[in-house]
Amino acid sequence: MYRTAARRLLGAGFTTSRLLRLPKPRPTTTIIPYSYCTSSMESPIGNQSVNPNQSDPTAAREEGHRRDESRKPRAEFQEEQARVLAASLRHVPRLGWTEEAMIAGSREVGVSPSIVGSFSRKEAALVEYFMDECLQLLIDRVDSGLDLQNLIPSERVSKLVRIRLEMQIPYMSKWPQALSIQAHPVNVPTSFKQRAMLVDEIWHTVGDGASDLDWYVKRTVLGGVYSATEIYMLTDDSPEYRDTWAFLDDRVKDAFDLKKSIQEAKYFAQDIGAGVGKSFQGLMNGVMQTMSTRGGRSSAF
Amino acid sequence: MHLTSRADSSLSLVSSSQGTNFTEAMALRSISRRFGSRVLSYRSSSVASLHSHATSFGFQQVKEEEKSKLVGNVFTNVASSYDIMNDVMSGGLHRLWKERLVGKLSPFAGMKHLDVAGGTGDVAFRIFDAVNSVKRRALRKVDEASLEETQIYVCDINPNMLNVGKQRAAERGLGDNKSLVWVEGDAEALSFDDNSMDGYTIAFGIRNVTHIEKALAEAYRVLKRGGRFLCLELSHVDIPVFKDVYDLYSFKVIPNLGELIAGDRESYQYLVESVRRFPPQEKFATMIADAGFEKVEYENLVGGVVAIHSAIKL
Repeated sequence: MYRTAARRLLGAGFTTSRLLRLPKPRPTTTIIPYSYCTSSMESPIGNQSVNPNQSDPTAAREEGHRRDESRKPRAEFQEEQARVLAASLRHVPRLGWTEEAMIAGSREVGVSPSIVGSFSRKEAALVEYFMDECLQLLIDRVDSGLDLQNLIPSERVSKLVRIRLEMQIPYMSKWPQALSIQAHPVNVPTSFKQRAMLVDEIWHTVGDGASDLDWYVKRTVLGGVYSATEIYMLTDDSPEYRDTWAFLDDRVKDAFDLKKSIQEAKYFAQDIGAGVGKSFQGLMNGVMQTMSTRGGRSSAF
Repeated sequence: MHLTSRADSSLSLVSSSQGTNFTEAMALRSISRRFGSRVLSYRSSSVASLHSHATSFGFQQVKEEEKSKLVGNVFTNVASSYDIMNDVMSGGLHRLWKERLVGKLSPFAGMKHLDVAGGTGDVAFRIFDAVNSVKRRALRKVDEASLEETQIYVCDINPNMLNVGKQRAAERGLGDNKSLVWVEGDAEALSFDDNSMDGYTIAFGIRNVTHIEKALAEAYRVLKRGGRFLCLELSHVDIPVFKDVYDLYSFKVIPNLGELIAGDRESYQYLVESVRRFPPQEKFATMIADAGFEKVEYENLVGGVVAIHSAIKL
């Protein structure tokens, strides 16, 4: 094709935009210098000591630059999102884990609610923010000297799970909604990861250094206990969730029993394996011997 | 060097042949332009900087002040058959693209939105419906007061396009709805206050603006903190075989469709050419970032036939 060939020949020079970027003799509005300056934002402020009597475009650019420096440091999108989400959490008990809560939150911090549209996966952003915050809170609690020393490991586990789940109490009426958001196929990878992190953190804090069980088994077992308790909590109307905590203690005990039984099962399996292995080896040896004797015999013939 | 020289070297070539096979004419024109620019460069560089800059009108080079007039003519010519042509050219896909745009915007009750170059109201009606849909209201306990506050400004430089939009609003029974405001105005010099809008959309419009940078700067100016900029525009296809098919469709089929349905071949020739002159996705994203926007992203639809650029003002 002639045309495509011609275009290839012309290359980048074919676009007009570079032309438009040439400094214009007259800055028509105050916004124009700003549009120039942001591209050079990354450059250090060192070149501010320019002669103010310079030609217009550069002076305008510098002015824009300085104006930008004088503003408060440029808020990163992530920080802004975190601020909005933090404010939104206060509206969750009333409005649920919804866009409405986030709209209310953004109004509260003085940002256009439009920002909500730019959060990836909308409501999930709010739930995931909450999960991250709670984990951070848990870590802070542990770091600030949570008394776990005189507890046995199973008690430590149930105490940590309880502390974590207690953080959800203010949102309990809307928590089923959060769970359904987390269970949405699009959100599963993140929510799964967040739960894994939480469980890892708990095992880490418990300080169960024993390497008797596979890490993934531990993670799965505690994950199961955590989720079961979380679900139990939804329908628990006993005062101060007493039933939930009793349920939790039982499940953790079960888990530690299971740990024991798994350990026993493992030893048992090892024994069986050894036994079977030996007999298998014996069998194979027998076979090989017969084979070789037969082979020897056949070669003798 | 050759950038400045294109200004007048090309002016002499604007009237070059449109006849015979247009692709050949196209190639001939651009090659001769290139050649001409080299020859003329030393002579013209000083002249061009004194006079106005050249800009593109399709593949033609025109003076900046002429472009808006020429674009104006195009849209005056096609206003009446604009929507049916969109349907025919895109096979109805433009509806899905616009839905996607509005979906990305996620409008909310009480929002102040500005839809630039949206004369026929296609995007504005979708935003209006999204805010007012019964399902949404039932689900989300939207209070009626904030619903009343919703304002969607439809801004278009071309009164003919706006008239089509107003007519369609009347057909939908929204003729005297206070949420829809029709404003005649230039994307490069908006008549709205600083920090006054929650959202800014421009669908199939920014390509026709003479200075894209100015339009972006204006978008940045009118948006509030946290306000979003969304741009739906025909863009560049980079998938090998599909690209050739698309080019063939653009240059062979669309102008003919234009002649057949809108009775205007030239306008649609301009359309396909202007798409090719529009900066590619990455470049346009950089321009948006240069205007001061944060979180600049784009999404290609149909392999890049159209792209939705989104950004946020912080």
